Formats: sequence, C-alpha cells, structure tokens
Amino acid sequence: MSNSTLEKRRPDQGPDQQPDQEPKTSPSQQPEPNAPDNWRRFFSFSTDHKVIGIQYIVTGFAFFLFGGLLAMVMRGELITPEADLVDRTVYNGLFTMHGTIMLFMWTFPMLNGLANYLVPLMIGARDMAFPKLNAIAFWMVPVFGVILVASFFVPGGPSQSGWWAYPPVSLQNPTGNLINGQSLWLVAIALSGVSSIMGAVNIVTTIFRMRAPGMGWFKMPAFVWTVLSAQLIQLIGLPALTAGAVMLLFDLTVGTSFFDPTKGGDPVLYQHFFWFYSHPAVYVIVLPIFGIFSEIFPVYARKPLFGYRVVAISSLLITGLSGVVWVHHMFASGTPSWMRMAFMFSTMAISIPTGIKVFAWVATVWGGKLRLTTGMLFALGGLFMFLFSGITGIMLSSVPFDIHVNNTYFVVGHFHYVINGAVVMGFYAAIYHWFPKMTGRMYYEGLGKLHFALTFIGVNLIFLPMHPLGLMGMPRRVASYDPEFAFWNVIASLGGFLLGVSTLPFLLNMLSSWTRGEEAGDNPWRAIGLEWLVSSPPPHENFEEIPIVISPPYGYGSDEPLVSNHPGGTFAEPSKSTPVANLSGESNPS
Amino acid sequence: MNTGQERTSDLARVLNWRQIINLTGLAIANLLISLWMGQQAYSWMPPQASAESILVDKLFSFMTAVGTFIFIGVIGTLLYSMLFQRAAKYDPSDGPPIEGNVKLEIIWTVVPIMLVIWIGFVSYQTYDQMSILGPSVAQEMKREMKEAGTVPLEPTRTVNTGAEETANEPPIEVRSRQWAWEFRYPQENVSSTELHLPVDQRAKFRLVSEDVIHGFYIPAFRVKQDIIPGKAINFSFTPIKEGRYRLRDSLYSGTYFAANQTDVVVESEADYQQWLQTAANTPPSPAENVADSEFSRAEKNAVSLGWATVRPAPAPIVNYSNKQIPDKQIPDKQDPNKQIKKQTPRLEKNPDE
Amino acid sequence: MSSANLEATLDPTPDPALNSTGAHAAEHEEEDHRMFGFIVFLLSESVIFFSFFVGYIVYKTSATDWLPAGFEGLEIKEPLINTVVLVSSSFVIYFAERFLRKENLWGFRLFWLLTMAMGSFFLYGQAVEWMALPFSFKDGVFGGTFYLLTGFHGLHVLTGVLLQGLMLGRSFIPNNYEEGEFGVEATSLFWHFVDVIWIVLFLLIYVWR
Repeated sequence: MSNSTLEKRRPDQGPDQQPDQEPKTSPSQQPEPNAPDNWRRFFSFSTDHKVIGIQYIVTGFAFFLFGGLLAMVMRGELITPEADLVDRTVYNGLFTMHGTIMLFMWTFPMLNGLANYLVPLMIGARDMAFPKLNAIAFWMVPVFGVILVASFFVPGGPSQSGWWAYPPVSLQNPTGNLINGQSLWLVAIALSGVSSIMGAVNIVTTIFRMRAPGMGWFKMPAFVWTVLSAQLIQLIGLPALTAGAVMLLFDLTVGTSFFDPTKGGDPVLYQHFFWFYSHPAVYVIVLPIFGIFSEIFPVYARKPLFGYRVVAISSLLITGLSGVVWVHHMFASGTPSWMRMAFMFSTMAISIPTGIKVFAWVATVWGGKLRLTTGMLFALGGLFMFLFSGITGIMLSSVPFDIHVNNTYFVVGHFHYVINGAVVMGFYAAIYHWFPKMTGRMYYEGLGKLHFALTFIGVNLIFLPMHPLGLMGMPRRVASYDPEFAFWNVIASLGGFLLGVSTLPFLLNMLSSWTRGEEAGDNPWRAIGLEWLVSSPPPHENFEEIPIVISPPYGYGSDEPLVSNHPGGTFAEPSKSTPVANLSGESNPS
Repeated sequence: MNTGQERTSDLARVLNWRQIINLTGLAIANLLISLWMGQQAYSWMPPQASAESILVDKLFSFMTAVGTFIFIGVIGTLLYSMLFQRAAKYDPSDGPPIEGNVKLEIIWTVVPIMLVIWIGFVSYQTYDQMSILGPSVAQEMKREMKEAGTVPLEPTRTVNTGAEETANEPPIEVRSRQWAWEFRYPQENVSSTELHLPVDQRAKFRLVSEDVIHGFYIPAFRVKQDIIPGKAINFSFTPIKEGRYRLRDSLYSGTYFAANQTDVVVESEADYQQWLQTAANTPPSPAENVADSEFSRAEKNAVSLGWATVRPAPAPIVNYSNKQIPDKQIPDKQDPNKQIKKQTPRLEKNPDE
Repeated sequence: MSSANLEATLDPTPDPALNSTGAHAAEHEEEDHRMFGFIVFLLSESVIFFSFFVGYIVYKTSATDWLPAGFEGLEIKEPLINTVVLVSSSFVIYFAERFLRKENLWGFRLFWLLTMAMGSFFLYGQAVEWMALPFSFKDGVFGGTFYLLTGFHGLHVLTGVLLQGLMLGRSFIPNNYEEGEFGVEATSLFWHFVDVIWIVLFLLIYVWR
C-alpha cells in the first residue's frame, strides 16, 4: 500500500529525527510567501519560468474578466429583440473585441502560463530552454493588449468585422484613416503571433531537450504531451495566419488587391488562410485542457490514467488531423461541393482520437476512490461540457446539417460549450489543483465548491438555449432579432449574468487564500509527479538535485517509486498541514 | 504492469449474469430515450417548408439519437461513479492500479469509427440528394470599395454558364447589398424586395453581391449559401409548403447586418402569376428598409451614439416592396396559412412619410 | 547538434553532467539547445513563405486578369544572374565556416566578407529590377504577390547580411570562439534557408509561365 511511503524517512535518520527540511538559500532566491519583496517579482522582467507563468495567468485572467464584461453588455442588448441598449456599431465592436480578447488575450496567454509554470517542473528541469526569450514573449502580451484596448478610442472605434476580420467588410474603413480599429487589430494580432511563436520555440525545445534523466517519452506526464502537441500546431499554423493578416493589412492600408473583389482579389482565399490556422488554433486551446484532465482524474480517483500511452499518442494524432479540417468553417462559403465532402470526412475523423481520450478519462475515474474536491469537480464538469460539445461538433461536421446552422447561434453554443465550458473549467481545475504548489497555501474548499456550482449552472443556462435558437434560424453576431427568439435569449442572458457573478467567489478565494490561507506543504493531494517532490512554492532552481525518473507516471496503487534519488521516492516528506483534512475531502479546517 | 493486467482479468471474471442483465437493461433504456429524443428533434426545427428540409431534419434526428445515446452512456457512467465510488472518509489508500484494457480500448476505437463512417455516409447521401449548389461564375465588379452604393452592373462577359441557366426559365436573380435584398425576375422583368415563389416547383437562383459577402439563408427551407462578391453563384431548392417565411442575411456584413432581412412567400401557381402580373404593372419606386431609416435617423441626431459607419446602399428601386417590419408577419408555427393575405398592389410611397 | 546530445535525448540513462548545478554545465546545455531552437524557428518561418507561395499559385491558376495590362512577362536574365550569385554564396559561406572550424580566422573573415558582398549584390540587383518594372505593388494580384514574395525574401536577405556583419565584427573580439560558434553556425544556416526559399521563389515566379 502506498501510504507506507508517507511515513518513509531516510535510512540514516533515527525514528525521533525530523526529516530534512529543504535547504535554505538566500532570501532573495527563496520565494518565502511572507517575504516583503515577494510580490515585486511579478511586475519585473523575471526570467524564472514560475514567475512568468503566474504573470501570464494573471494577465490572461484580467483580460478574461474584461472580455466577460463586454459579453455582459452583449447579453444585456440581447435581452430584448430590438437594438436598444447600444448603437449597432457599438454592438458590432463588442462582439468583435469579445472574441478577439477571449482568444488572444485570455486563452493563449493563460495556457502559456500554465505550460510555463508546470512543464519544467514536470520534466525535472530547472527552467525553460531560453529564459530570456520567455520573458520577452510574456512582456509582449501587455503591449498588444494595450493596442487592442486603445482601438476602442480611435476615431471609428475598434474593429467591427468579427474576430475573423473577413474582407471585404474588414476593408471598408468608414473613417478613411490609416490608423483605425481594423489596422490596430491586425498589428496586435501580428504581435501576438510573434509572441506565441517565441513561446512555442521555447516550449518545444524544452520538452525535447531538457527532460530529466530516465524520462523517456512514455514516462512524461500527459500534460506535457498535450502542451507539446499544442505548441507544434502553433509553430506550423500561426505563420499562415500571419501571412493572411499581412496581406489584409496591405489591402487595408496600401490598397493592394489580394482580397478585394473590385480589384480582382479573392475574399475566399483569405478565409482559407485564416482558417488554416484558426481551426488548429482551437486544438491549441483545448489540448492542454485535455492534459489537465489527464493529470487531475488520476489524483482524485487514486488510479492510473487509463490507457496512458494511447492517450499520449492521441494528442499527436489530433495535432496531425487538425491541419486538414479547416474548410468545415466554410461549408456554406464559396467552396465547391467536392471540397465540402472531403473536409466533412476529415473532420469526422478527428472525433476518434478525441473520443479515445474521453473514454479513457471515464475509465480512469470508474472504480477509483473519488474525492470530489473543487479541482475534481471542475474537471468532471469540464468533461461533461466537452462531451456535449463534441456531440454537437460531430453534428456540425455533417455538411447538410451545417448548411442550416452555419453562422447561427447553434455554432455559438457549440464552441462556447468547449471554450467556456471545458476550457474555462479545466483552467479552474488546474488552478485549484496547483494553487497549493504555486503559493504554498490551501484555498478555501467551501468557496471553491460554491464557485463550481455557480459556474456550472451559469454556463449551461447561457449556452444551452443557444442551440434551439440556432436550429430555429437565429443568425449570430446580430444586435437585433425577430421576436420569436426572445424567450431563449432572456434565459441565456440571465445565465450570462449568473456567470459573471460566479467569478466573485473565485476572486475572493484566490486573494484571501494567497495572503492568509493555511500552509499547504509539499504535497497536500499526495499526488505522484515531479512537481510534488519539491517545496510549495518550489525553490528558485526547482530541484536541489535533478531527479532520476524510474517509473511511468500515475503509479497509483503500485509501490514503485517515481524517482531513484529522492528520499521517499514518490511522495515528498510529510507536510506540515494535516493530510487527514485533505483525505476527507472536506473544507479546509481553518 | 503485470499487476494491472491481472487485476483487469479479475474484474472481467467478476462480471456476473446479474450485472450483464443490468447493463443490457440500461442500454435498452438508453436506446429508447435516444430514439425518443430523435423524434423530439423534429420539433426544434422550423416548419418543413422545402423538400430539402425533410432530408435535413431526418439527418438531424438521426444524429440527435446517436448523440443522445453516447451522452447518456458516458454521463450515466460518470454520475454513477461520482455518487457511489467515493473514497471512504479518512481512507488514504489508492484504487486498483488498472492501467488499461486492450479489448476495451479496441472496442471504443472501432465502434466510434463505424458510427462516424455511418453518419458520414448518411450525410453524403443527404447532400447529394439535396443538390442545391450549382456552378459559380466569375462576375466583374466595377466599383471602388470605398464608396458603398448601388452601381448598375455591366452585363456579364461570356463565361461558362451552368446547365441550370439554360433550362426552362432563367433563374431569379438575388441581389444582396448593404443592407437590403432585391429579387429580379428576368423573364417578367419584375423586381421586388420580397421573394415570391410558386409551391412545388424547383426554384432557381443566381446569387450576386454588390459589395461585401452576404449570406442567403432561409431557415424554413434549411438552405444557405454565402454570396461572394465577384462571383455569381447558381443555387436551387424546392419549396413544398405555402406560407410566409423569413429570409435572413447570415454572414456578418456590417453595421445593419442584423436588419438585413426580408420575407419569402410561397404560394400557389395561380397566386404567384397574379402577383407577378400586378408587380409588372406597378412603376418601380424606392423600397424602405430598416438600415436606411435607422441611418437617416442617426444622421439627424446631434450627438452620435455610435462609431462611423458605412453608408447604406441606396434603397432598391423595385416594382413590389414589402413593409420591413420584423414582427407582425411571422407565420404561426401551427398554421402558416393563417398569415397569408392577398397582396394588394402598392402605390408609390412618399419617401417623407 | 553533437552526437553526444542526440544520444542523451534517446538514451534515458543519467548523464553526470546534467546533475551538476554549476554554470559550466548550464552553458553547454544552452548552446546545444540554441541550435535546436533556431532550427525549430526556421521551420516555423518557412511556413510563412509556404503560405505566400500557395497564395501565388492559387491566384495564378484562378485569376482571370493575371498579368497587369500591357505587361508581357518578367525578364529572366538579370534575376538568373542574381540567382547564381546567391546560390554560389551558400558555398562561399560554407567554406568560411570550414575555415573557422580549422581556426583559420583570416580565411574565415575573407570568405565571410565575400558572402556579404554577394548577398549585397543580390539585394542591389533586386532593387534595380524593381525600379525597372512597369507595375506596382497595387497592380492587381500579380503585382501584389510579386512584390510581397520578393520583398519578404529580400527582407530576409538583408537580415542575413546584417547578421553576417555582426558576426564579422564579433570575430575581432579576442577569444570569441573558445566556447563554440553558435552565432556563425546559425547565421550560416539562416543563409542556406534564404537560398532554398529563393530557388523555389525563382522557379515559381520567373520560370513557371
């Protein structure tokens, strides 16, 4: 039984001796939670991947809240059929910027943050391959964020052509100015691409080159697999978007004819450039979330990840397939029938490796010893949301059906179930799970569960009604609609407001726990992984001695130690906080 | 690894008759619920007003049933686990070290593959039967993008045209612009902002855009086609039910995109011919549309509540125009014929009214 | 990438050098990682060019009005000379690298400078060609894609020459190459990359009619 390892002490220690503490290094290196200069690291040009990771996450979350505010105004407009809350141009700017901010300022930075924080720890490295490049890539984020927010204040307002920026609408530029919302948008997107590619080069190099001795490919945690798969997509897909954006920018500012039909250009070609990246981009977003689920279910079910190797390979399969499905966004566009059919089949194919993961997670949970902590609840909720959206996704891949619901609220409901269902819940799950590791403190379990309940009800209330709305024929991106759509829209708006409110217990929990939560210890969840072998928060150099890995991950229920050169082998030394409180899964006694 | 496999075959032996009967019972219950959901799916769709809608709804019902089955199966399993497989309080032990089960993994790879091939095949067949998309031909666009507005297009140059165009009747030309619809019936030389079609006859269209990409979407017919500027796209479908339906611009086309809607009236051949006749005898006049009226109201305001916008194209000058009020003329779902009125010819409207 | 590091990636047994926390070990690691990272970056960069190539091919095969009015086609003679110069410069830079590996600094500097000259010649030739052309960036999809492709490539050639200049300057710092020549290797690889892109570009734009 593995609980024997909890009690393990080093062989040279007597029964009365305390196990060795982590050696103290100088205060400036050791991020003591109560050190006075602690918080300043997060506003500095730090090259520590752990600091950069948190910088990314917090910045991303701030933009998530901002994008959410924009959505609240949109839902306010949509409570009534008429365009009576804001001007139509304002609504159009709102939905454009909502999508843009959520994708480029929230999901990509946040996922880069999680990858940054966790990957070096999980593979037993001291930092990323290129720490300075890492910091540069992060500090670009506030820059293009500011550009996007600034676009609200230029004459003509922000881009109002949707986050796709389809020409010819995106070329219309009513003010005639060179510096307008659309051109600022394109510049911001280009910068975002540069930052992301820097990050991708860094992460891919790190994963290929800096794994601890003994960590072959199939001893690597599933989260690292998914991050690798996602970053490979970024490397290969982003440049295509950059190319299309550059051409669009030239059309807009210089007057070239790439996509302008009045000058012989082809607007549909832009759509190909755009979706060639933007479809795989959604896998960039969801793959790390899959990785998070794969990390969380084993811990809280106390069972190995079912079919780990196949789950790992399926990540790469998804990466490969994701590159050949993009035309499913263009089934109703200027595409010939043969192209629609071909991409229908390729799109359906991608459901297979994805389905394998879903079944594997269910099988991981089944027969385990479940603890429904907040992290586990969010992971389960995310799985629920993802399953639903996967099913509507297969429906959407069917061309005749998609012709009816393309560009309607059905699609909006589908992708929000993925993004503001699976992805956001996966994010919360990750935060609750690794919060103790990152901060050295425990969060308040009761508040966490409240957060989960409000979120789960909220996302379903807002996005489920969008499906019948789409089936009935309500187009997306509309500031006004026919009265027959009013009923579901009211419900959706109520759900939206609830969703907004649901972030409050989370914020409260994070702020109060970080400053005065109970000390967490090295491994409050008794999880198996390299990151759990070090202190919470980890020391500046992560590992005193680089671990030598001798077992595959998720060794729950077996006695094999994870590493050969760490006292305890699998679990860190017993922590100061009582593990018993966490064993019961009850609220943190405080 | 050895322990893992041993444990799974232990479990396999443990699956006794009672459990097999339980599982089969649950599977049958799931199947029944799924079939029921498949039937419900029809009610979530608009009335079936075209031949294509019958095909699409059947496909959707099938996919709903399959999806429901998978959803209930997976969620049911998870819920059971969440309710009945929780760790005992203060039990620090792990669960069984099961790392995989080759048989199970093969099943849940092969079965989805078969399901997906099935759905793909049915979809392919459906699309083939619908056959709504015709060939598209290049269309020269003469005007500068900067100024929005209707400029009469030059006659098209000789390019390959599809067989559709040379069959019996020339297609109805659908002209989309920012932000109004115009329909031209070339044979009768009639133009209208409301689309009239005879029931039970295959309707043929030639979709053109005068400025940006628009979407030609009639939910009741389950048909949609983006209209690409620079191309004339041939399109066709068959309305089968008389009534008044909504046509909506489905591809975001700028400021007044949401208001770019009109009605489609499907009527008997006799009524249709009569409408055409009346319209042909009505002198053309500008048709009011929501975009125009909102824009001119906004222009008159001293304070602008929004940002700069592209000017709406000049109102279409048509023989027949409908009043662009969104709400009063939506057909009753039970009886679409309730709302059909005899169309009286419109006199020239005073633009200042 | 040395074979030792390839081994370390494939062979999971522990490498004593990796256990140390000394700066020396870290430097070695970072050097090898830098080349890997640079190659990864170049792979990504090549996709931008591929995207532009695809755009060019699509426009050429589908546009009704391809060449601008009155324009018969591109001259191939001068660009061919430019091509020969650029491709040859890849060999020249290769020799420069070899000199450096044999620690012959002056041989290295000579051939390196020669590469820079050939690269500059290419840029000059490109500028001359551009100025003689009767169509502009805005002239239809041909004008757009022509200047986009050649311009974007020219930007890379310019970057390559500037990087070479930087490396040339650094070669005068005493003992600069004690720890290895990553900068030179990377600049050289970048130059080969720029070359290969040009060959494809030349075939697409000048040869394919």
